[in-house]
Amino acid sequence: MKQCPYCTHPNREGYFFCEECGRRLSGDATATLPTRTFVFATKDLPKPLPATWGTSNFDINSTIVMVIRDADQPLHLNPVQEVSFGRLDSSSSERKPDIDLTPFGALEKGVSRLHCAIHREELTLTIVDLGSSNGTHLNGQRLTPEVPRVLRDGDEIQLGKLVTHIYFKGSTSD
Amino acid sequence: MRLEFDPYSELGIASSASLEDIKAAYRRAARRLHPDQNRNSPGAAVQMQEITAAYEFLLDEANRRTFDTTRIEQQPEYVFQFRVTSSKRAVTRLNEPQVIYMLAEVIPDIRASEIQEQRDSRLNLTLVLDRSNSMNGVRLDKVKVAAHQIIDQLKDDDVFSVVVFNDRAEVIIPAGTVKDRSSLKARVSMMGAGGGTEIYEGLASGVEQTRKFLAPRLVNHIIMLTDGHTYGDQERTINLARASASEGIVISAMGLGQEWNDKFLDELAAATGGTSTYINSAGSVVRFLNDHVRGLSNVFAERVAVSVAPESDIKLESAFRLAPNPQPLVIDQGYIPLGNLQFNRTISVLFQFEMPAELALGFRPAARLSATGDIMANKQQKYKVINDMSLEVTEQSTNEEPPTSILEALAKLTLYHMQENAQAALERGDIQEATRRLENLATRLFELGEGELAQQAQAEAQQVAFTSSLTDKGRKTLKYQTRFLLSGPNKENDSE
Repeated sequence: MKQCPYCTHPNREGYFFCEECGRRLSGDATATLPTRTFVFATKDLPKPLPATWGTSNFDINSTIVMVIRDADQPLHLNPVQEVSFGRLDSSSSERKPDIDLTPFGALEKGVSRLHCAIHREELTLTIVDLGSSNGTHLNGQRLTPEVPRVLRDGDEIQLGKLVTHIYFKGSTSD
Repeated sequence: MRLEFDPYSELGIASSASLEDIKAAYRRAARRLHPDQNRNSPGAAVQMQEITAAYEFLLDEANRRTFDTTRIEQQPEYVFQFRVTSSKRAVTRLNEPQVIYMLAEVIPDIRASEIQEQRDSRLNLTLVLDRSNSMNGVRLDKVKVAAHQIIDQLKDDDVFSVVVFNDRAEVIIPAGTVKDRSSLKARVSMMGAGGGTEIYEGLASGVEQTRKFLAPRLVNHIIMLTDGHTYGDQERTINLARASASEGIVISAMGLGQEWNDKFLDELAAATGGTSTYINSAGSVVRFLNDHVRGLSNVFAERVAVSVAPESDIKLESAFRLAPNPQPLVIDQGYIPLGNLQFNRTISVLFQFEMPAELALGFRPAARLSATGDIMANKQQKYKVINDMSLEVTEQSTNEEPPTSILEALAKLTLYHMQENAQAALERGDIQEATRRLENLATRLFELGEGELAQQAQAEAQQVAFTSSLTDKGRKTLKYQTRFLLSGPNKENDSE
C-alpha cells in the first residue's frame, strides 16, 4: 500500500496518482498541499519570521513587505500617507491606483480598478475598502466599504480572489 | 495456406534458424501462451493461433523456401512503428501485488507524408441518423446542414449512404458513388421527425449499406447520431457492432443533448475502434460531423488493432486510448480495435497491468504486444509489428522516475477515473462517497486551473448531496470533458 501524503488514502502499489484526491503520490511523506504552498515558504523572505508577528505597532522607521500569493517577488512599500491598490485601466478616467496589481492576475481575480487603500497613521496602519465590487477581506472577514480597520503584522488581505500577506519590517520592536 | 505475416518475427527467430531452433521457439511460446494457463487472456489466445500458424507453415520445407525467395519482394513500401514504453524498467519485489503501466504508440511512417498529398483515402461512409420525435426542430435542421456539408466535402468516387431511423429504419440514400450532389441533398432535406428511437434497426440497416461496397482499399465507416435512449436492443446492437468490426467496419457514435445512454454508445464505439462523442448543443453538430469526416479522408492505415498477451502471472486490467479521441477500450477481445491511423498522428494507448506479490528476482518477460493494421498505400496491406516487453525484478527499491509521457497521461486519466468512481459510488447508492469524490475532483480541477469544469464538479457535488442524483448534463459534461483533457494542452483551440 502506498499512503497518499495529502489525503492519507491507501493506494495500490505502483499507482503514481492518488485515486481519491488525484494528486501525485511521491515518496515524500512530508509533502504539502499545493494550495497551501505560499510563496514565502520557498522564497528568500524575512527569516526567521519577524518577532513583531501580530503587532499593530508601525512606527516611523517601519516599511511594509507585501507578499502576493503565486508571485515571485514581494512588494516593498513605504507609504508616506496613503497607498491605494487596484488595477490600472488606461481607458478609464477614474483616479488611478498607486499600486497596479495587473501583473499579479488582478483582472482574473476580480480586483477592482480602485480596490482598497492602506493609510499610515501615527503609530499604526489602517486598511480601507474603497467600494470594490468583489470586496476586501481582512483575515477572512469582509470589510465594510469606507470603514478603516487596523492592520497587524502577518495579516492576510484578500482583494477579490487575490491573496496577499502583510509583514512589517524594521519597526522598533524588531 | 495463406499467411498474413512474417512467420520468423512471429516466432521471434532469424530466417537462418535451424529446424531445432524453430521447434524450440514454438515450445517456448506454447508454454507461455497455453490456453490452460491464460484462461482470462483473449490476447494470448489470438497470439497462440498466429504463432501456431507460423510454426506449421515453417515446418513445411517447400513453404519455407518459397517464402524465403519471395521475401525480398514482399518488403512493404510503407510501415508503421510500434513503440511500447513501460512505467518502470525495474520493479521491486513486494509482499503485495503492484500495478505497472505500459504506453503503446502506433506511429505512421514519416516518409508517408510525401504520399499524403497525392493519395486521399477513398471513403465508404454511411450516416445513420436518428429522426425520432425529440430531434424535431433545430436538431434535425442542424443535422441536415451537416449532412449537406458532408456531401459537398466528399469526392466523386467516395461511396456514400444515409439511413434514417426511429422505430424502424429507412434508407434515404442507398450506397453509391457521389454523383448528383443536389439530388442527394434534396433527399436529406426531405426527412421529417417522428416516432421513437430504436438504434438496432438503424444500425443494422446502416451496416447493410456499408457492406455493399465493403473493400479493404476503402475507409469503411459508419457515423451514428442519436439523441435518445434505446431499450431492449442494446445487446443485439453491440453484437452487431462486433460482427461489423471483424469485417473491417468502424462505427463512431455521436450523442446529442442529454437523453442518450453514454455507457452504451461508449461500448458500441469501443467494440469497433470508433469514437464516441458528446455534442451538448445542436449548434455544434455541424462542426463535429464535418471534423470527423475530414479526419477519415486522411487515413494512413485502417483497421489498426493491438493484442496483448501478458505472462500468465500478470493480469491486464484496463486499456485506454489516449490519442486521438480519448476513449476507454474493451479488453475482452483478442484484438483491441483502434480504428484508423491518420497521417502524422500517433495512436497511443495506456495499458494497466497487475503483477503478483513475491516475484522471482532477475530479468523476466512481461508481455507480448503486437499491433496490426492495413496500410492503405501498400500493395500487401497487412502489416504487423511485435514487441516483447521484459523487466527486471529487484530486491532494492529503485525509485526510478517513470517516463514523462506516462506521468502526464496518468495525471489526467486519474481525473477521469475520479469522475467514474463518483458515478460508481452513486450507482451503489453511497451518496456520501459520491459527494466526497466529486468535491475532491472539483478541488483537483481548481488546482490544475480548470476553473469552469471545477465549478461544474462542485455544482454536481451539491446536486448529489441534496437530490442523491446527478443532472444528466452535468454527468455527461464531467465524463466527456475530463476525457477531453487528455487531448492535450492546446484544448482552448479546440473548444467551442
